[in-house]
Amino acid sequence: MNDAEEDSPSAPPEPGEVGLVEPHDFVCTQPFTCESGQVLPGFTLRYETYGRLNAARDNTVIVCHALSGDHHCAGIHALTDAKSGWWNNFIGPGKAVDTTHFHVLCANVLGGCQGSTGTSSTNPATCRPFGVAFPFVTVRDMVRAQKLLCDQLGLTALAAAIGGSMGGMQVLQWGIEYPGFVRRLIPLATTARESAQAIAFNEVGRQAIMQDPDWHHGDYGRGGGPRVGLAIARMMAHITYLSDQSMDAKFGRRRKGVADNPAYTFDVQFEVESYLRHQGESFINRFDANSYLYITRALDHFDLAAAYGSLEQAFAPVTAETLSVAFASDWLFPPDQNRAIVLALLRAGKRASYAELALNLGHDSFLLESEDLYGLVRSFLGSPASP
Amino acid sequence: MSKLVAKRTVDMQIIGDWVEPGSRVLDLGCGRGVLLDYLQQTKQAHGIGVDLDFQKILGCVRRGITAYQGDMEAFMRAFPAGFFDRVICSRTVQELTDPAAVIVEALRAGRAVTVGFVNHGYWKNRVDAFFRGRKPRNPVYTTEWFESRPANPVTVSDFERFCAAKGITVTRRAVLRGDWHTPCRFRPNLFAGYALYDLTR
Repeated sequence: MNDAEEDSPSAPPEPGEVGLVEPHDFVCTQPFTCESGQVLPGFTLRYETYGRLNAARDNTVIVCHALSGDHHCAGIHALTDAKSGWWNNFIGPGKAVDTTHFHVLCANVLGGCQGSTGTSSTNPATCRPFGVAFPFVTVRDMVRAQKLLCDQLGLTALAAAIGGSMGGMQVLQWGIEYPGFVRRLIPLATTARESAQAIAFNEVGRQAIMQDPDWHHGDYGRGGGPRVGLAIARMMAHITYLSDQSMDAKFGRRRKGVADNPAYTFDVQFEVESYLRHQGESFINRFDANSYLYITRALDHFDLAAAYGSLEQAFAPVTAETLSVAFASDWLFPPDQNRAIVLALLRAGKRASYAELALNLGHDSFLLESEDLYGLVRSFLGSPASP
Repeated sequence: MSKLVAKRTVDMQIIGDWVEPGSRVLDLGCGRGVLLDYLQQTKQAHGIGVDLDFQKILGCVRRGITAYQGDMEAFMRAFPAGFFDRVICSRTVQELTDPAAVIVEALRAGRAVTVGFVNHGYWKNRVDAFFRGRKPRNPVYTTEWFESRPANPVTVSDFERFCAAKGITVTRRAVLRGDWHTPCRFRPNLFAGYALYDLTR
C-alpha cells in the first residue's frame, strides 16, 4: 500500500569539477547606510561565479556562507591548492547545485575578512584599519549589499538562494527583502531567531577575544591582534558545530603522543585536544578577530519575529517556494527551530517543505557528503515551477 | 494498468470529486505525493503533505509537491482552527497509534476531513480469518505478519460507531465493493472492500 513503485528518478550524471576559478571584486562607490544607521562611504564585495549566466540572466543560484566561510565555495585557485572551496562536494557540473544548468554566485559577506569590506579594511577617514569603528552590520545589511552586486551583474532574478547556518539566515532575508527577485529558498540548519544558547556561545567567543591583552580595544593593526583569544573562540565554537556522537566516533579517548608524554601534565594528551588546537591555529591565520566580533553580533541580532512583529508577518511578502532542511544531531540550530520557519511560512500561506536528515555530525552536517541531501536539493531546484 | 494502480485511481477520483477547486488541502501520511499531485493538477488544490519518512518527502519534492517531515498531530497543532479547507487521511488511519486524537485534531485544523480506508469487515477478510485462521493476505495486504508494520484494522461498522460516539457528522460516504469501483448498496460492513467518509465537526 505504498506508491514506491511509481518513482524511477533518472540517475544523475557523473559529477565533475568547476576546476580553476578566480575571485572578482565588486566595488560600490555609493555610500551604504547600515541598519544601525551608520554609513559606509562605499564597499567592496569579493565574489566568485561558476557556470554560465543564461540569456535571460535569471539562472543564478546565490550561495550564502556561514560565520567563518567565504566566497570561495567551489573549485580551486591554483593547481597546487591542497583544498578546494568549502562546498565543492555540493557545487559543480552534475552535482546538487549543477553548474551546467545554474550560474552560481557566492560573495564574502559585508563585515567579513576575505576580501570584502570589513573591520580589517582601511578606513578612508583615518587611513588605518576600521577596527571597531566599522559600522555594526546585520544579516539584512549583508543581503542588501549582495543585492547591489546582483544588480551590478545585471541579474534579472535569482533561481535560488541557498545556505546553511548564518547562510540560511541570509536566505530567509533574501526571500523577505526581495520577493519576486528570488524564486526558491533553501535554508539549511538555521533559525529565524538566534536563541539564548547560541548568543551565549557567541558571547564566550567574543570575551575570549576582548579579554586578550593583544586586542587593544580592536586597534591592533594588521598581522598582530588577539591570536590566543581568537583561537580559543574558534575552539569553543567548533565544538558547537559537532555532536557528542560524532566527536566520540572520530576521537573517542584516543591518546596523542603518549609515549613521550608523562600522563599527568596539561600538554595535549587526547586527540580531540590536538584537533581543536589545530582548528584554532589554522583559524587565526585566515580570520580577523574584529570581524569575528561583528559577525557574531549580526547573528545575535537576527530575530525575524521581533523585527517584523511576528514570523508570519516577516514572511508575508515572500513569493519564493522554500525547502528547509534540518539535521537531527544539530543542537546549535536544532530541527525544531527549522520546523518553526516552515510552519510560519505555511501559516502565512506560502509554499514550503521541511525535511530532516539523520546525519550525526551535528550542526556541520549540512556540509557532509550525503546523497539524500544532494538528491533533495537537486530535485527541489529542478522541480516543476510553482503553480 | 495493474489492479493495484486501478484501485488507487478510483479512490483518488472520489476524493477529487469532493475537493473544492482551489482549496487548501492537507494530506496526512502523504507518501510520495501522488494524491496531492492529482489534486493539484485536477483541482488546482494548494496542497501540503505530512509524512514521517525522508524518502517520502523526497518523492514529494521531486513531484513539485510541498511536504513536511514530522508528526502529523504536532503539525496540525501549529495551525489555527479551520486553517485547511480539507484534511485528508487516506489509507492512514490503520497505521495510527491514536486514531481518535488525529481525527479530532484534523476536525479542528480542517473545515472538512476525508477519511478513506480498506474495510476489514469485508467478507473475504472474514473468510480468511475464519477458515484459515490467519492474517488476511490479498493483493492489497501482501505481506506476512512478520514483515508488516503494526496495523490497526478498522471496519465500516467500527468507524461509524466511532463517529456517532464522538458526535462527528458524516456529510458524505462512498462505499465500494471488493473491486473498489462498483458502489456497494447492501450491507457495506460485509460487502464493501473500501470506504470513504467526509466528516465535519
